[in-house]
Amino acid sequence: MAFSRIGPNDSRSAAELADYRAELHAWLDANHEKLAPRYPPPGTLDDQIAQMQRVKSILFEAGWMQFGWPERVGGRGGPPMLRTELGAAIAARDLTDPGLFSLIEVLAPTLIDFAPPDLAAAVVPRLLSGAELWCQGFSEPDSGSDLASLRCRAVPEGDAHTASTWVINGQKVWTSLAQYSDRCVLLTRTGPVDSRHRGITAFFVDMDSPGITVRPLQMMNEELEFAEVFFDNVVVPADRMLGELNGGWAVAMSILPYERSSCFWQRIAYLYRRLQALVDVAPDDDRAAEVVGNAFLQLHALRARSRATQHRLAKAGTLGAETSIDKLLVATAEQTTYDAVRRLLTGTVELDDSMAGEVWRSEYLYSRAATIYGGTAEVQRNIIARRLLGLASDE
Amino acid sequence: MIDADERTLMEETVRSAIADALAADEGADIDAVLARLDWRQMLDDAPGDAIDIVFNALGATNATATALDDVLQSALGQKPRADLAVLLPGFAAWDPPGRIDADDLRARSLATVRAATAGEMLVVGGTRWEPWSVTIPMTSAERSAVHGIDPKAGFQSVRVQGRAGGATRLDPAAWESAVALGRRAVAHQIAGASRAMLELACTHAKERVQFGRPIARFQAVRHRLADALVAVEALDATLDAAREEPKPETAALAKAVAGRTARTVATHCQQVLAGIGFTMEHPFHRFLKRTIALEGLFGSADEIVLDVGRRLLAERRVPTLIEL
Repeated sequence: MAFSRIGPNDSRSAAELADYRAELHAWLDANHEKLAPRYPPPGTLDDQIAQMQRVKSILFEAGWMQFGWPERVGGRGGPPMLRTELGAAIAARDLTDPGLFSLIEVLAPTLIDFAPPDLAAAVVPRLLSGAELWCQGFSEPDSGSDLASLRCRAVPEGDAHTASTWVINGQKVWTSLAQYSDRCVLLTRTGPVDSRHRGITAFFVDMDSPGITVRPLQMMNEELEFAEVFFDNVVVPADRMLGELNGGWAVAMSILPYERSSCFWQRIAYLYRRLQALVDVAPDDDRAAEVVGNAFLQLHALRARSRATQHRLAKAGTLGAETSIDKLLVATAEQTTYDAVRRLLTGTVELDDSMAGEVWRSEYLYSRAATIYGGTAEVQRNIIARRLLGLASDE
Repeated sequence: MIDADERTLMEETVRSAIADALAADEGADIDAVLARLDWRQMLDDAPGDAIDIVFNALGATNATATALDDVLQSALGQKPRADLAVLLPGFAAWDPPGRIDADDLRARSLATVRAATAGEMLVVGGTRWEPWSVTIPMTSAERSAVHGIDPKAGFQSVRVQGRAGGATRLDPAAWESAVALGRRAVAHQIAGASRAMLELACTHAKERVQFGRPIARFQAVRHRLADALVAVEALDATLDAAREEPKPETAALAKAVAGRTARTVATHCQQVLAGIGFTMEHPFHRFLKRTIALEGLFGSADEIVLDVGRRLLAERRVPTLIEL
């Protein structure tokens, strides 16, 4: 396979990307039995995590997981769009939860860009192959939208520039999959209390370090996807620092380009699948036509926007404040899609205890958070007003 | 297709040519400006880019022109000419407007202001599945200018009644393509107008001082304007997708997104502009009225959404339409 030579956006590359997509789907068709979940949907979170790691290991063994990742971390090179296509293909087939699978996109690039090269080369393949799971320790009880106010403290044992170890104390919250994770990309306060984004440092912490306690939180759909994580004198080697001392804000911001391009494209692929599932069983009348037509319209506009965003990323290598627009469009389209389910499948979300009903109910409830996680809709609007419309600061 | 730099240059050239002509004379002949820019040649060479650039500029400047007649003629397989007008589908519809009743050709529909000067009119009739077309002399049509919500849009009400001789079968794909290109043209015009409304509202929000500060500092105002930008950007992306993946479906969705966008943008901007935006002293009303008038051409958002939804349910299939 020569797909690793596909360059950024041009017509020849578009054709090559289409070839890659076709070959990928043919392979997924041929290996469907091997990849399909071995439990009835939705399964427990334990089932889903095991399935995700199994899918990753099969894809890694076959060589698909490595496309789009640099060779220095065990990848096969080529543009990141190759991995976006892979994530979208497995989301469209419902082989694993796209939200959990696409966490790779916000974790691996951080290590590649900010970890010492040996560390990145050692651990990224373990994430890709499903040998490990990682989590992201960003939010804190008092630092949600205002992330730069975070207080989880890292203190050097000795001088900050020469210390061989750091000691961490504090608490994180909304840490997805913390109870399953082997490592954590953690943001800590290393500057003065009020140093905001100038005094934050990122570390790559082993989750089995003494002093870490994980307390899963039950979401309103009854699942335990995220957790509180407590750090009590946790010792971390200095060579686990990601990026510069007090350079953690850059690490935190570096996740946005892939979160808001590749991850969104995977989420969109899944939303098309779910709208298809709704269209399969929706009543055949004009009220239903209006409702599914409206959801389809929003998904199409979102898909068009996200496509343009991926091509801009491929060309420019990074993205900026304009991804706040993608974020709002994803949230709105997702909620519209699940609202359509509730409007057309009478009693399903509310009362249906069949397997299909359980999945719709869980996803409907989860979709309520789409305007909250990853930066609230209000924060996105503030960013758009200030950065894209050039309206003077509101502070 | 043309490259990005050429595009930017053409956008600026077309927009400033129209804006300059309107600045010199509010009633300037914009069709003459487009003719000087060699619009019909652009349409022939690169229809996607030409429609995008010209109609966006018409929307942004609130100009009135009859380029839509050229787009439809070209889609219907004719070489566009200035003395031929095209009978548009009825307001809020996209069926061919003509009917043959016994031996009589009958039609009652809309046209652009070209119908006031052209010698002939192209009339498509029948159904979407079995269309025909005929060219008639304007003398066999009754025409009157529509005042309506936007008198400056130039809409003409046209009534045709005459002998049906000379009608020839039209490939249904040609009518489908005319509707698709018409939708894209109108959607681009709405996109240009929507962005113009947003610019007017942002300028006002920065200049208007209440409670000792520009109202742009209030979050309630900022969030409305942010939502308007989200809508405008989504429309632009949908239009780019329709240009890059030209199909009847991508054009229909772009037109529907345009209708929704115009409503969202107009609502937020009208509220931010408040009193002054309610007067004819401020230019906002022109864009508002133009987008309301254009929304009905080739089907409104609500009608297209219903049509698309019916098809999803009939086929029980949700197509992705565009890929990376």
